[in-house]
Amino acid sequence: MKKYSSVEEFSSFRQRVLSEREIQPDEPTLVVCTGTGGQASGSNDILRVIKRYIIERSMGEKVKLRVTGCQGFCEMDPFILVEPGHHLYPKLSMKDVPRVVEAAVGGFVDEGLIFQDPKIQKYYHCQKDIPFFNKQTRTILGSNQKLDPIRILNYIEQGGYASLEKVLTKVDPEWIINEVKLSGIRGRGGAGFPTGKKWQLARASRNGNGQKYIVCNCDEGDPGAYMDRSLLEGNPHAIIEGIIIAGIAIGATKGFIYVRSEYPLAIKHTLIALRQAEDIGILGKNILGTNINFNIEIIRGAGAFVCGEETALIKSIEGFMGEPQQRPPYPIEKGIGGRPTCINNVETLANIPVIIKNGGKEYSKIGVPGNTGTKIFSLVGKIKNTGLVEVPLGIKMSEVVYDIGGGSVGKAKIKAVQTGGPSGGCIPASMFDLSVDYDSLAKAGSIMGSGGMIVMDENTCMVDVAKYFMKFLKDESCGKCFTCRKGTQRMYEILEDISKGKGTLKDLDLLEELALVVKDTTMCGLGQSASNPVLSTLRYFRDEFERHIIDKKCDAFVCTELVGAPCHSACPVGTEAWRYIAHIARGEFIEAYATIREANPFPSVCARVCDHQCEERCRLGTSGSDPVAIRALKRFITDRIDPSTYYPIRDNFPSKFSESVAVIGSGPAGLTAAHYLSLKGYNVTVFEAEEEPGGMLFCAIPSYRLPKEIIKKEIESLLDGYITLECNTALGRDITIDQLFDKGYKAVLLALGAHKSRPLGLKNENVKGVFPSIEFLKAFNLKNRELAKGRVGVIGGGNSAIDAARTALRQKEVEGVTIFYRRTREEMPAFLEEIEAADQEGIKIQTLVSPKKIITTSGYFSGLQFIKNELGDTDSSGRRRPVPIEGTEEIIELDTLIVAISEDSGIDSIGPARSSKIEVTDWNTVKVDSKTLQTSRPGVFAAGDVVTGPNTVIEAIAAGKKTAVMIDHYIKGEQLDQQAELDLPHVYIEPLEIEDEKTSEIGRVETPRASVDWRKRNFAEVEVSLSIEEAMCEAKRCLRCDIEFTQPKKIDESLVIAGGN
Amino acid sequence: MISFTLNGLDVSVEEGTTLLEAAKFYGFPIPTLCHMEGLSPYGACRLCVAEVGREPNSKLVTSCTYRVEEGLYARTATARVLRARKMILELLLASCPQSKVIQDLAAAHQIRQQRFKQEYEDCILCGLCVRMCEEQMMGKAIGFRGRGENRNIGTPFDIKSEECRLCGGCIYVCPACQLRCTYTEPDKVICGGCANLSPPCVEKEQFNDMMCYMEPCVACEIKKD
Repeated sequence: MKKYSSVEEFSSFRQRVLSEREIQPDEPTLVVCTGTGGQASGSNDILRVIKRYIIERSMGEKVKLRVTGCQGFCEMDPFILVEPGHHLYPKLSMKDVPRVVEAAVGGFVDEGLIFQDPKIQKYYHCQKDIPFFNKQTRTILGSNQKLDPIRILNYIEQGGYASLEKVLTKVDPEWIINEVKLSGIRGRGGAGFPTGKKWQLARASRNGNGQKYIVCNCDEGDPGAYMDRSLLEGNPHAIIEGIIIAGIAIGATKGFIYVRSEYPLAIKHTLIALRQAEDIGILGKNILGTNINFNIEIIRGAGAFVCGEETALIKSIEGFMGEPQQRPPYPIEKGIGGRPTCINNVETLANIPVIIKNGGKEYSKIGVPGNTGTKIFSLVGKIKNTGLVEVPLGIKMSEVVYDIGGGSVGKAKIKAVQTGGPSGGCIPASMFDLSVDYDSLAKAGSIMGSGGMIVMDENTCMVDVAKYFMKFLKDESCGKCFTCRKGTQRMYEILEDISKGKGTLKDLDLLEELALVVKDTTMCGLGQSASNPVLSTLRYFRDEFERHIIDKKCDAFVCTELVGAPCHSACPVGTEAWRYIAHIARGEFIEAYATIREANPFPSVCARVCDHQCEERCRLGTSGSDPVAIRALKRFITDRIDPSTYYPIRDNFPSKFSESVAVIGSGPAGLTAAHYLSLKGYNVTVFEAEEEPGGMLFCAIPSYRLPKEIIKKEIESLLDGYITLECNTALGRDITIDQLFDKGYKAVLLALGAHKSRPLGLKNENVKGVFPSIEFLKAFNLKNRELAKGRVGVIGGGNSAIDAARTALRQKEVEGVTIFYRRTREEMPAFLEEIEAADQEGIKIQTLVSPKKIITTSGYFSGLQFIKNELGDTDSSGRRRPVPIEGTEEIIELDTLIVAISEDSGIDSIGPARSSKIEVTDWNTVKVDSKTLQTSRPGVFAAGDVVTGPNTVIEAIAAGKKTAVMIDHYIKGEQLDQQAELDLPHVYIEPLEIEDEKTSEIGRVETPRASVDWRKRNFAEVEVSLSIEEAMCEAKRCLRCDIEFTQPKKIDESLVIAGGN
Repeated sequence: MISFTLNGLDVSVEEGTTLLEAAKFYGFPIPTLCHMEGLSPYGACRLCVAEVGREPNSKLVTSCTYRVEEGLYARTATARVLRARKMILELLLASCPQSKVIQDLAAAHQIRQQRFKQEYEDCILCGLCVRMCEEQMMGKAIGFRGRGENRNIGTPFDIKSEECRLCGGCIYVCPACQLRCTYTEPDKVICGGCANLSPPCVEKEQFNDMMCYMEPCVACEIKKD
């Protein structure tokens, strides 16, 4: 390439290149991203196939190929972008490539491969329309897709080096600095110091006999950040241009690019670019014939995180150990070799050509005042669209996370975003309205940092996050100053204790105190910001720390020492699922039953209707396979073993001298409490308002899910002669709480259930033909009355709506059933298998509609007016709000309407409680202390749906179990709330030898169900039990997470000292 | 001369004076473990922090490295300074509980509890010995190695340095610890009797007159008899 020796010569060359580019026709071009991320996803293979295909078919004339650096949409790698239409073909495999090439040459779009959103079945033909791109402002990053980083001509074609030319035409450093000041750009490395001001100070500095340096800081070491490397890989000339301009501005003649050795591609591309720049005469002595000398040298860092700190970076460039110096003096006064050194981040320098080209004033129009321009973030973690995003500063966090990022990957909601890497802090989802800029982030306790955004969902434990970052910092602290070295180490120790359940509340205070002192007293930026992860998680997620300390629970199931076997700790009643699964695998069914029954007095009920938290948390499921079918295995055991084989262990036998307890309500909560209190030796009387015991189990759950005989049998085995049952006795009607205390009961448990459906709040809701779901289900389940007729509509998306719909479908006079729900199907709170079963039975589910008006004909319900919804902004729960679309009202004719939006206890059953001086909430539930379940009146406890509103059976059983313990403490006069203890697996059951290949081949067993045609017209049970072979085979799939805790420690003989003890 | 406000007093010192020196001169001694006259300021122990500026824009700086400037508003014993200093001493005490110097400092600052797990470390990495060796003895025999909690002082690759003249300067300056200059051969140490300051790193053969520059060195005295 020719070396240009004057600015004019270079200018005419540049103009020629640009005008040649203008007249070129828009040929079809395949653009392939081969940044480090792209290469890791296999873009090199894609490239090879493209080249081969083009050469084999001699298509070189028809289609062009451009190899670029990272384009940002890393989630979709490897992808091909076809210009000029900007069609994006994501996640390609090698066999798809010919189709893309043909589509590009033929000028059409291949809809089979083009980017689409499967959720709303929409195809995006143009890259610009994809939500990931259309909210971004890709000033800097946008160039990456337009040029091949190793071709300087590509850069010049895109208008590159125009700014340098402008600067060299009239060399006026003051003017450059002024433009940069006008632009308002702040350092993109993290602290946000105004770049113009820094340059001015560096220019004014008179140390070092005129020799000054400019350094480009590309020591990007935060976990989860890779924007600087992508810039250097994808567009090195822009950085070089920025450095030269900065050098001219401050009067430096030498620049350094400090880049980590672990960025080989960035180093390679930069070296190529530097050579090209020298060849063309932009770098070296007397650049472009001017009297300016400028050289750039690459320094490879060895990968110490602290070398990103400017004083440590200077030490590293000088060849010393990378450790910071106390500032002042600042590097702009005394830097490399004692000479003024200006250190700028890669991204800052990449912005400089843009500012010079368009003028500082134009640049300052992007973003918000004080925080101008765009910023590149690397969006990683539990997010759908992982990648690099460039947004104007001042954008809302929610826009970045939900609109550009696409929200969470799985079902779990997004909980927080860690900005600024290990030195930054967490921003909780409730604060996603926050504007993303330097000042707001600092105010929220975080920092902008270099721009990493790590998204965390509910499966992320914040204690673990703080621990992880503290471990990183502890290892990366240089160790020079005492508070950083010891402080990070001590903070890590405390966090580790907490994550192991050994922490105390005092530790939390100490942690906070220490974090503040470390922040206050350390030498460099690393230490000063090292406390941020701890302080911000403590600030926003203190309850999570306290839960680890007080309850010894990790709700995200991350901290192994607290979780034990996830199936075990996920169960509200603490069933040792791993244990009975191990017994089933060994064929020991009676032992398996005993294990289940020990923890849960309603095993057969739960085997049918439990929401199986254990399966959600099963490690087999969370690690990519399907979870063990734990509920089906429980069903298998409870179908085979009779409850009479189990004899509960009694602490005491009740006698006439024992204290007595009254339990009101005989649902799962009431009976569980009665059972365990009786085992402790209390005389228990259970009062039931209906004719038969069973509570919500009987009234609300249809018998095709839970047959009546099963409930009866289970209850019979619990009412073993030590418990007195009084049916047809309702609180308020027949008895009052005061009377019970007068009769000598020492404690009263309210377990009334939630028997009232919440109304829609529309006019005419009381006409004939409109039923609250509970009333409808009760009428059928208790009195066998079929209320549904003709066309039935059900409003709601929860389990009670599905129960009502499926029950209605089985009634004789019903023609068809439709469920109406206001959000989308994915957001329905009902169990997935219930929705599927409803689908199979032919129940229609209409989503995104809200009822508006009830239409009546001569006093009877005749139809419903609906309005259509669309999904609006994301609310704090991470779900998008349904927003009605005006003018889309529509009337649907119906004969019966069942309202199933929610249930509470209803004012008539809560009334007696209130009259006995017991506080209730605004939602018609009884108010209790969440730790002790005691109501506002001493001696009166409450449990189950009457406290929580409609909830699962297993939660009611768990509450019943807990109140039994609390009532025992209360009557004995002990402190109610006692220190939680770790409940880890402790029984060792020898695992079977299993051939690895065999188990990995077997998938999860399908829960057998009765055929649809047969089942939908009767109330016989839908789910069927597993066979012995199926069950044992399924049980063998278990990973046995318990072994880690239960296996007897083998003594390593080689370590035993002879004669020692 | 530079005039500034120190703990409310208007004072003046020569240009280039550090805050630590100025405070000492005016009778406000600041505790420090990593500073010594004649060695370059290092700012490692963080004990000497002082508050400069007025609230809310005040900040903590290490007074040993901070050169006073005209109009400075500095305070050496504010609540913020004392809180930080106490925490630092508590951390030091947890790491080197056997050191008399640290014990005394902790006692003087009313430290009555020790909430961290106890360790027994020999070195607080103040770096005095490294600077002594390099700046006063022109030796550069020892230096820092590793980073974070693995940082330690020694010779490259643990090979005995040819630069070392066995001057013992490193031990002389050690403020709180022991075993500075034993190289890789702690067993060569000849004495170990001092409470804190043990042992001179001198090989027995060359240590003819049994003179010890540390006074009093009980072990050596015993040996003389």
